[in-house]
Amino acid sequence: MATDLWERVCDLLEQGRSACLATVVASEDEGRVGRRLLVLPGGQVEGTTGLPELDRQIARAASDALADLRRGWVEIPEGHRVFLDVLAPEASVLVCGAGHIAVPLAEFARTVGFRVTVLDDRPDFAHPDRFPGCHVIARDFREALAEMPLGPHWYVVVITRGHEHDAECLEAVLRRPTAYVGLIGSRRRVGFVLEMLGRQGIPQSRLRDVFTPIGLPIGGESPAEIALSIVSELVCVRRKGPGQARVLRRAVEEGS
Amino acid sequence: MTDREIFEKVVELRSAGVEACLATVVGAGGSTPREVGAKMIVCADGTTYGSVGGGCGESQVKSAALRALLVTGRPELVEVDLTDDLGTRGGDVCGGRMWIFVEPLQKKG
Repeated sequence: MATDLWERVCDLLEQGRSACLATVVASEDEGRVGRRLLVLPGGQVEGTTGLPELDRQIARAASDALADLRRGWVEIPEGHRVFLDVLAPEASVLVCGAGHIAVPLAEFARTVGFRVTVLDDRPDFAHPDRFPGCHVIARDFREALAEMPLGPHWYVVVITRGHEHDAECLEAVLRRPTAYVGLIGSRRRVGFVLEMLGRQGIPQSRLRDVFTPIGLPIGGESPAEIALSIVSELVCVRRKGPGQARVLRRAVEEGS
Repeated sequence: MTDREIFEKVVELRSAGVEACLATVVGAGGSTPREVGAKMIVCADGTTYGSVGGGCGESQVKSAALRALLVTGRPELVEVDLTDDLGTRGGDVCGGRMWIFVEPLQKKG
């Protein structure tokens, strides 16, 4: 390749940006197989198949795939099959609170493909040895959250050791868009925290986005079971959207 | 492995001059263990990174990757029929087909 698209892809994903890597996987013109383009949202194109007209058609198909976040192959005249590999930043999980639930939660989340960051203000809890493969931050919650680049592909799990820290984390998180925010606790503790946040100016519509008590209601009791219910909810939101997770909650609650 | 981890490994292996092949699921039909876009790297010495099929079809993908790497030297589209595995491994539940694009990775020039 004229430019190294592999390194370019790594750079983009590291920056939290999406792209479509379009590769000719079959062609009547055998020399064209393996040629590829990198298409960014907004339509910028890097690389070439060697045929300007083919490049243009691929770029159009890739832009459509990016808009829909849909991977797959397309047939492009004359006789080219092109695989559109839509690459998006990994869904990232931020775990606020590195207590006993956080350890299995981080492991399960990584297993199903999330990138995991764990945050706690206690260094002995937020310790890399406890969370292999995760980004671990031992720092004041408020300070750390102020600098984190949270965005639409972040799933935030608030399971700190007290409602003061819960509120601190939520206040920082709820002022930004995220894919998911969940808060652990009894209905009483949760109610207290959300009421406090409402008084601090967080809109009710945003407070309603918070999944409480966190996790699909599978009746889990041990830290690992609770972690399993939380990660199940994260997967449900990632695959089907938050509406589906709420439907599942209501279905179980009505059934009990 | 996530896509990002796979691509980072690709960059690493190319820089190190390791002969390797990238296999990507580009199409799937029926009941398949991994989704379109799943990727695996197969090195000339047999080392693998990532997964495209777990127990189902992985050996076929590995064989196709090694053939592309060591014999043809060219990228190609390979169909993997997972129903072949169904008859020989009683417990497997896979029964679909995957199309895998295998391509030898050029060393970084």
